[in-house]
Amino acid sequence: MPEAAVSETDKTSHIGWQGAIGSALLLGLSLVFMLGGLQLGLGSPFRLGTGAFPFISGLLLAGLSTLNLIIDLRGSQLAEVPDWIGFLAISAALAIFALTAERFGLVPAAFLTTVVASLPDRSLPLFKKVILGGVVATGAWLLFIQALNLPFKAFVGV
Amino acid sequence: MDILSSFYGGLLVVLEPQNLMYCFAGVFLGTFIGVLPGIGSLAAIAMILPLTFYLEPTSALVMIAGVYYGAEYGGSIASILMNIPGTPAASITCIDGYPLARKGRAGVALFSTATASFGGGIIGMIVMAALSPSLATLALSFGPADYFAVILLGLVAASAVANGGALRGISMVVAGLMLGTIGIDLTTGDLRYTMGIPELRDGVHIVIVAMGLFGVTELIVSIKANVGGKSTQKIDYADFYPSKQEWKSLFAPILRGGSIGSFFGALPGTGQTIAAAIAYAVEKRVSPQRKDFGTGVLPGVAVPEAANNSATQTAFIPTLTLGVPGSPPMALVIGALMIHGITPGPRLLVEQPNLFWGLVASFLIGNVMLLVLNIPLIGLWVRLLQIPYKYMYPTIIVLICMGVYSLNNNVFDIWLTLVIGAAGYVMRLFKFEPAPLLIGFVLGPIMEEQLRRAMLLSRGDPMVFLERPISATLLAITALILIGASFAAFRSYRMTRNQT
Repeated sequence: MPEAAVSETDKTSHIGWQGAIGSALLLGLSLVFMLGGLQLGLGSPFRLGTGAFPFISGLLLAGLSTLNLIIDLRGSQLAEVPDWIGFLAISAALAIFALTAERFGLVPAAFLTTVVASLPDRSLPLFKKVILGGVVATGAWLLFIQALNLPFKAFVGV
Repeated sequence: MDILSSFYGGLLVVLEPQNLMYCFAGVFLGTFIGVLPGIGSLAAIAMILPLTFYLEPTSALVMIAGVYYGAEYGGSIASILMNIPGTPAASITCIDGYPLARKGRAGVALFSTATASFGGGIIGMIVMAALSPSLATLALSFGPADYFAVILLGLVAASAVANGGALRGISMVVAGLMLGTIGIDLTTGDLRYTMGIPELRDGVHIVIVAMGLFGVTELIVSIKANVGGKSTQKIDYADFYPSKQEWKSLFAPILRGGSIGSFFGALPGTGQTIAAAIAYAVEKRVSPQRKDFGTGVLPGVAVPEAANNSATQTAFIPTLTLGVPGSPPMALVIGALMIHGITPGPRLLVEQPNLFWGLVASFLIGNVMLLVLNIPLIGLWVRLLQIPYKYMYPTIIVLICMGVYSLNNNVFDIWLTLVIGAAGYVMRLFKFEPAPLLIGFVLGPIMEEQLRRAMLLSRGDPMVFLERPISATLLAITALILIGASFAAFRSYRMTRNQT
C-alpha cells in the first residue's frame, strides 16, 4: 500500500463539542437496549429473564457513555476527517450487490459491484472499469462456482 | 514413556504414504479455502466431508484435521494483507497484521504468522498428547461461575486493546456484549431486538460483524488516500524474515499464546476466536511492546495465531475424549467419525489408539507441512500488495460480498454488513476503535449463558462467584486490572487538563 496512505488516512481535525457525537450515539444505543431489556423481562436473580443481560449491559454502557460524553464536552476532541465519497461508493457497491445477486445472479452482481466501487477513481477510464468488472466477475465465477462448487447461481434465468 | 511409545505408534500410522497424502491434501486445501474471506474452517470441512466418507477412519480424521488448521492458518493471510478476516478467529490478527502490511512489513507479518502457527500447533499437540485425559477432567470441573469469571477477565483485559483509551475501549466491549444478544434467546426461546426481521433470529454472524467493522470500514478509509496511486512497495525477499531481535521478541508471545490457546481450545464451547481474543488481550497487558499494540507489532500477530492454532488442536480433546463437540467444526468431526461407526468418548483412547495417536502425530506432520507449504508462498501473497489499489479495492469489495453471501445465501447479510460497516466508520471518526467491540461480541453470548447457569445453580445467590476458588481468584485479578486502569486513566486525564 502506498506510504502516503498512512499519513492521509490519519488526518484528524479539532472539532470541539462535535467530538461528543460518538458518545451520544452510544448513549442512545444503550437506552434502546435498556428499554428493550425491560420489555423482555428482567426475571429474578434465581432465574434471570430474557432481558436481564441486555439491560445490565445497556445500563453499564449508559454510565460509560455519559462519562465519555462529559469528557468529550469538556475537551476539544480530535476526529478523523470524513471521506464521504469513499463512504458513498463502498455503500453503493454493497447495495448494488444486495440488489442484483438474487435478481440477476452472481456474475452480473460481481460485475456491477466492481464497476460501482471503482467509480471514485478518476484515474481509471470507464472502459477499464468495465474490463475490471468483467475480470473480477469471471474470477468470482471460476473460484466460487466452478472450483468450490458453492450453491450460487451464475445467471438467474439462464 | 507410555505417551512416547503411543506417540511413536501414531507417528508410524501417519507416516504411511496414503495418510501423508491425505494430511497434505487437507492442509493444502484448508489453507486455500481459509484465505477466502468469510469462508472459514466450518465451511472448509463441510466441503471436504463427503470425500472422507470413502477413506479409512484414521485417514479421514487426519485429512479433516489438516483442513481445519490449514483453514485457520489461511484465514490470517487475508487479515494481514487486506484487513478482511478469512476466518472469525483471524479477525483478531487484523488488529496488528494489517497495520504491519501498511508499514510495508506484510512479508515479515506472514512469516511470523507461519512460525507462530507452527509453534502454537506444536504446543497444542504436546498438550493433547500429554494431558488429554487430565485436561478433559479439568474442563469438566470448570463450573459456570468459573467460566463467567474467566470471560469477564478476558473482556476487561480486552478493553486495553483500544487505542482511543480504556474508557472508550470498555464502552465498545459493552456495545459488543449488547450486539451479541440480538437473536433468539437459547434459554427461553424468546426473540430479542430482531425488529420482526426473520433473518435476525439466529443473531448476527461474527463474520458479518468482522467484515463490516474491519473490511468495509477500512476500504472507506483507504480509498481517498490510495486511488490513482501506484503501489510503492518493493519486494525484497530479505525483508520477509524477522530480524534477530524480532525473533527473540516472538518466542515468549508464541509460548504464551500457545499455552492460552491450548487451554481454551480444550474448554467446550469456547473455540479459537475466544482463545485468540483472550491471548491478545493478555499479551496487550504483559508484552514489553504493549503500548504499540494495535499499531502493527509482530507479537500482536504472533499471539493470536499461536493461540488460534493451538486451540484448533486441543479442541479435539473434549471432542474425542468426552464426545462433546466444543465448536461447530468439531460437531462435523464427530459426525464424520460416527459415519465410520466410531463413537467418541472416554473409551476412544483405549478402543481406537491408532486413530487417536495417529491424529496427534498428524498434528506434528501437518504443522511441518503447513510451514513448508506457506513460507515459499509468502512471496506470492505479498505480491498481491503490488497490484495497484485501484484494481485491488473493487476486487476486495466483491470478495467481501461473496464471503458474506456464502454464509446463508441471503442478501440480507450484505445489507447488514453495510449497516455495520457504516456504523463502524462513523464510530471510528470519533475515535471508537472496533477491536474491543468484536471481542465483546464474541464473548458476550457465552458470558450470558454462564451467568444465567451460575445464578440458577446457586439459587440466585451471587456469592457463588466468590465462593469458588477459581472464579474468586479470576475476579480478584479482574478487579486489580480495573483499579489499575482507572487510576492510570484518571492520572492521564488530570495531566491533559493541567497542560490545557
